[in-house]
Amino acid sequence: MKDWPKNEWMDQWQALSRQYWNAFSDLTREAGAGAGRDAAAMPWHEGFEQWARMFGGPGKQSETVERVLASAKSFTAFAQSMIAAATAGNAGAAPNWAEVLRNGFKMPGVDAASLFSNPVAQALREISGQGVKSFEQMMQGLAPALDPMREAKSWLNVPAFGFLREHQEHYQKMAVALIEYQEQTRRYNTLILKSSQRGFELFESKLAAREEPGRQIDSLRALYDLWVDAAEEAYAETALSPEFREIYGELVNAQMRVRSQIQQEVERIATDFGMPTRSELDSIGQRLHDLRREVRNGAGGNSSALAREVESLRREVASLKAALKERAVAPSPKPSAAAPKPVKHKRTRPVAKKRAQPVAALRADIEESVSAPVVASPPPKSVPPRPRVAKGRPSARAQRTLPPPRGKKSVAKVAHSPTRVGHPVASFAERMTAFARSAHKAQSVAHPYLKPAAGRRGGR
Amino acid sequence: MEPVKIEPTRALDEALKMQRKLAAGLKTLRELDDVGYGATDKEAIYREDKLVVYRFKGARKPTAKVPILIVYALVNRPYMVDLQSDRSLVGNLLAQGEDVYLIDWGYPDRADRWLTLDDYINGYIDRSVDAVARRTGVEKINLLGICQGGAFSLCYTSLHPEKVKNLITMVTPVDFHTPDNMLSHWMRGVDTDLFVDTLGNVPADLMNWCYLTLKPVRLNQQKYIGLVDILDDKGELENFLRMEKWIFDSPDQVGEAFRQFIKDFYQGNKLVKGGLRIGDGEVDLGNVTMPVLNIFAEQDHLVPPSASRVLSDFVGTKDYTQLAFKGGHIGIYVSGRAQREVPPAIHNWLAQRAG
Repeated sequence: MKDWPKNEWMDQWQALSRQYWNAFSDLTREAGAGAGRDAAAMPWHEGFEQWARMFGGPGKQSETVERVLASAKSFTAFAQSMIAAATAGNAGAAPNWAEVLRNGFKMPGVDAASLFSNPVAQALREISGQGVKSFEQMMQGLAPALDPMREAKSWLNVPAFGFLREHQEHYQKMAVALIEYQEQTRRYNTLILKSSQRGFELFESKLAAREEPGRQIDSLRALYDLWVDAAEEAYAETALSPEFREIYGELVNAQMRVRSQIQQEVERIATDFGMPTRSELDSIGQRLHDLRREVRNGAGGNSSALAREVESLRREVASLKAALKERAVAPSPKPSAAAPKPVKHKRTRPVAKKRAQPVAALRADIEESVSAPVVASPPPKSVPPRPRVAKGRPSARAQRTLPPPRGKKSVAKVAHSPTRVGHPVASFAERMTAFARSAHKAQSVAHPYLKPAAGRRGGR
Repeated sequence: MEPVKIEPTRALDEALKMQRKLAAGLKTLRELDDVGYGATDKEAIYREDKLVVYRFKGARKPTAKVPILIVYALVNRPYMVDLQSDRSLVGNLLAQGEDVYLIDWGYPDRADRWLTLDDYINGYIDRSVDAVARRTGVEKINLLGICQGGAFSLCYTSLHPEKVKNLITMVTPVDFHTPDNMLSHWMRGVDTDLFVDTLGNVPADLMNWCYLTLKPVRLNQQKYIGLVDILDDKGELENFLRMEKWIFDSPDQVGEAFRQFIKDFYQGNKLVKGGLRIGDGEVDLGNVTMPVLNIFAEQDHLVPPSASRVLSDFVGTKDYTQLAFKGGHIGIYVSGRAQREVPPAIHNWLAQRAG
């Protein structure tokens, strides 16, 4: 670092500043505007205010322009403070660069205190995103109203009563949520400030490592990059600490409670005006989604639980049928000559069961129809032997009475039909087949959104 | 010796140089149109809701018999794998003779808020796999999962191993509780149910804000100061803007899927601890018995290498290969080194297992 005699540094600094602004004015004139102020006295970053005025505003890349200008402004303020420190150095006395960074110049128009004493907070504030900004802006707007409430926070826990009890409770909760969010924001900012301070410590140690010959920093950009490394390292230390995790989580949760309370208020107002609410739309959306899953799974998606269960049941039914066939081959008692007609099993189901989901209904059917007692137990006294025996043991398939054609019955009706004709196992197998047919039909006819891209075979 | 040796006149020159660059470049920057992306021609082969499966068309017919299906993350748009002609993982895979397909999840809205991981993994991915397999006439395909899509691919492969011939994972988190995983560290203090119940779908802005706060000064300030250096180079500027567009072109996150992903993966770390259920099935990485190629980036700040490289401890395969790429989470697709190293590595690895 070149040392400037103490009595000359002000002249030197002013000369450099004038040089900067002259060059800047030339550039600005080329771009169509004029600077027109006392060059030596102006903070350099003010040049970027002019760039912002000239190049800001709407445009395809306006957000990028905004970010570039904000960053360039920060860098130039950094550069100006570094150059000033360099020219101000006494002979033989090196400037304390970390101190220069920490204090900065109290230049008008730059939040120097934030930029240099808490640069991470500054960077966090600069992160754009309308969804984030709008909430923060709202909180800033509410801040004056919250201060007196904080004073009286204990009163917000007083039980509500009377005609407007519900409303009072809601407003109390909202006020508490807002105050808590402010409190968590304060804790978070305190932690970020600590991180920035730690950044300066690391910056000093990184600078010390550059004292060796050949490793010295000879440009503003290199110095800036070193400072960024230090700031990020300190931030990472903080961000990975248990304290940060706890405070970050509490901050997010507190913000969600505020948002939730505001949403409830908006819903209440919407209801008063007879408008649809988010909860209602969500509720419809959820029902629609559940229905789609049910239809899709019922339509034969082999990854679905229902499909897997159906497949398993098919195998079970096949093995039971095989067992029945074997049993049919074995000798059985002769039927009486006057065997009455087989009695049709009538079964009443509770209402709730009729409304059950297909899987539950299928399970119930299976439990009732293919459970062991059907095969193993002797027929009740009042029930005569089955007709198949009288007919000389035809095959199990041939002897059962087929159910009436189901026509256009829906999938659900097929699955829930209480009719039970013939042998329960055989009847169940038929119903399964009918179910599969109906499901296939439902997939191809009733649910066009399940179809694949035009001209291609779709998913299952 | 003093650590800083800056001549005031040189420092002034630096500051002026920045001004000159800005003067030359800002007007150009402001007047630039939206940059295009997606270099490779493609055709849609399957559509469902907002999902589209694309097949990329190379200059020549693929020589590989088994197609690759790329499963990208939900949190960003998948055109990162085909950003521009000289930065395209897809283009380079095609050039090697691979047959490449990709799932584009689209932009979910509130109508999709109730989609679960079961819908994504056993539904969308499974039907996409079937569509690709049907089209190419094979029973099993190669799956290439990226980032969150890699975690999904692991789940899918565990649940449907009969449909996956080879599995490739890129920058995929497996162990979510490694000490350097900042995102996971933060999410473990968040009440996920309150978060999702309040927001419904998670807005893209909020996701972007979260990512930027991982490195606030570097990503929000230093990066744009670096941009000033290239403001007068239209080509470089367009490259920058294309990348910038991708970074902030984030879909909203479907509420229910987000809830389960945060609770089971980030908070519960169930992919390695066990107990992860997708639909009715339990994910067991021991079922992943086909060959696995795991590629991760050594300077990845989103998915630390430590979170990825543990995959070898949990998969059931005996044919496990690992590739550590010298770069970051994004550089692994778009850097010059990535173009030279990653696609040939994938192709050669697959070619050795083509039989």
